Amino acid sequence: MDTAIPASTLAARTWPDGGPSRVPNWVYTDPAIFQREIERIFTANDWLYVCLESELPNPGDFKRAQLGNRDVIAVHGTDGTINVLVNRCAHRSMQVCMASRGSAKEFVCPYHQWTYDLSGNLLGLPFRRGYRGQGGMPDDFRPEAHGLQRLAVTTRHGVVFASFGAPNESLETYLGDRMLAYFDRVFDGRPLVVLGYMRQRIPSNWKLMFENIKDPYHASLLHVFLVTFGLFRLDQQSAVEMDDMGRHSVLVSRRGEQQSNDATNQMRSFRQNFSLRDKRLLDPVREFPGDATVVMQTVWPNLIVQQQSNTLAMRQIVPRDARSFDLAWTFFGYADDTPEMRQRRLRQANLMGPAGLVSLDDSEAMLLSQAGIDQDDDAACVVEMGGRDVVNEPHMVTETAIRGFYQHYRTVMGL
Amino acid sequence: MIAIAHGLTVDPDLRARLADLYCAYDNLLNDGELELWPSLFAETCIYKVIPRDNVEQGMPIAVMYCESRDMLTDRVVALRETALFAPRIARRITTAICLRAIEPDGMHLTASFAVFQTMPDQPSELFLCGSCRDRVMDDAGTLRFAERVFIYDSTIVPTSLVYPL
Repeated sequence: MDTAIPASTLAARTWPDGGPSRVPNWVYTDPAIFQREIERIFTANDWLYVCLESELPNPGDFKRAQLGNRDVIAVHGTDGTINVLVNRCAHRSMQVCMASRGSAKEFVCPYHQWTYDLSGNLLGLPFRRGYRGQGGMPDDFRPEAHGLQRLAVTTRHGVVFASFGAPNESLETYLGDRMLAYFDRVFDGRPLVVLGYMRQRIPSNWKLMFENIKDPYHASLLHVFLVTFGLFRLDQQSAVEMDDMGRHSVLVSRRGEQQSNDATNQMRSFRQNFSLRDKRLLDPVREFPGDATVVMQTVWPNLIVQQQSNTLAMRQIVPRDARSFDLAWTFFGYADDTPEMRQRRLRQANLMGPAGLVSLDDSEAMLLSQAGIDQDDDAACVVEMGGRDVVNEPHMVTETAIRGFYQHYRTVMGL
Repeated sequence: MIAIAHGLTVDPDLRARLADLYCAYDNLLNDGELELWPSLFAETCIYKVIPRDNVEQGMPIAVMYCESRDMLTDRVVALRETALFAPRIARRITTAICLRAIEPDGMHLTASFAVFQTMPDQPSELFLCGSCRDRVMDDAGTLRFAERVFIYDSTIVPTSLVYPL
């Protein structure tokens, strides 16, 4: 699919003038950029979201996940800790695990039966000593040097993160105090229950997904459903906040009364005469401390934590190539939810996912964005709403969090 | 054509009416007559589009989930009035429809479905396929769905599911 641009052209790429208020189209199309993103963002020292601990309740429980372009196995080890192993046999690189989830005592590669324990250590391999004195591995073969690649793992309040490198900061430091407080607002230590999964494959660059959740400007304009039902409005008391490096962010919104005013007059999207016949679809109940009704958090580089009214989900970004990514949704609630709250979460899920009355606007917008971007690598996107700098803002009329993202991105990518 | 599970005896007229209901359902959606689509459901009903993966794990989250004819209508109005999406043609095929059982809560049927999608200036592609678990009731002389559950086989939806299955 990708029009091949040799990696050697990367050095010739020059970021347009305007700093983070300009984003060149080639960051969304160039396979060499994508390759560098895999190296420097997805398989470096950053903490990547893997899964929820409640998905692996018992020793031996495992599930596969995709981190960047790597397939990993998250497994509840015999010692009670979560291990994250790359699904690639140390022998011939075959995927050792075919099931997407299950329970295992060990992982046996189907090809030559190399066998690994739940920590990824190579336990043994057939004919290591040969057969009747013939063949076998060399005498100096050391099984301990041929385990499955094992990632650094950390958990917080039931959420599992892993890193391919050697992170020089804890998850808490990585998030920073401000972002950690928003994270802990949803993950307050209560046991979580997974309600189900959705997954969609979107023909656009993965960064457009992140930008979408860092862009409150569009929410009031594109999402007529949100606007019409007052779930997210430009004129509501709101905020855009980031960590000190601009890599993580939150959009915070508070629900207000729906009335026609100066702001709605600027929103062609406001529909005054539209009401639901079955009100149960939108029957939000306040369940978190404070007055925020929506908190959408992006955690660099692969996680969006969605709290839109009572629908909670982890959205995991799985980049596939420069022009394609998967968005993997894990919907959850709390173990102590009442049946009514559980039902409410199922109903409000109608707003989210590939058929979401809100989020389908986004997947379609990303498809159309990429189609526009593909026309001209040399053009650049303009990101000047709210200024050209990167600062936290007590309002929604800003693209500051996109600028924050690209400020950090350029540093990491050396662009 | 409606197949009948082994051991079940069904009035040929009922069998024809069931076939008509399924045919009407497909034709309505193929013709884009979304506004009429809710009329094929009972006033209190369950409509779900759910990945097979969730069903196998006993997980309830569905990508579309409606509990009444009104909620179906709300989805249609929301789609027409509020959603942004690229134009497309969705064409559905339902086959292997089988009446499995007749219970006090209605007739239980299963079927297989495929939906093809055609985007502007693109070749037609298979969009989703899977199975249906349905319950049909006689609503004062008219057959209507009291329950329609579409279970799609892939975990992945290509981009977005715009029109209802």
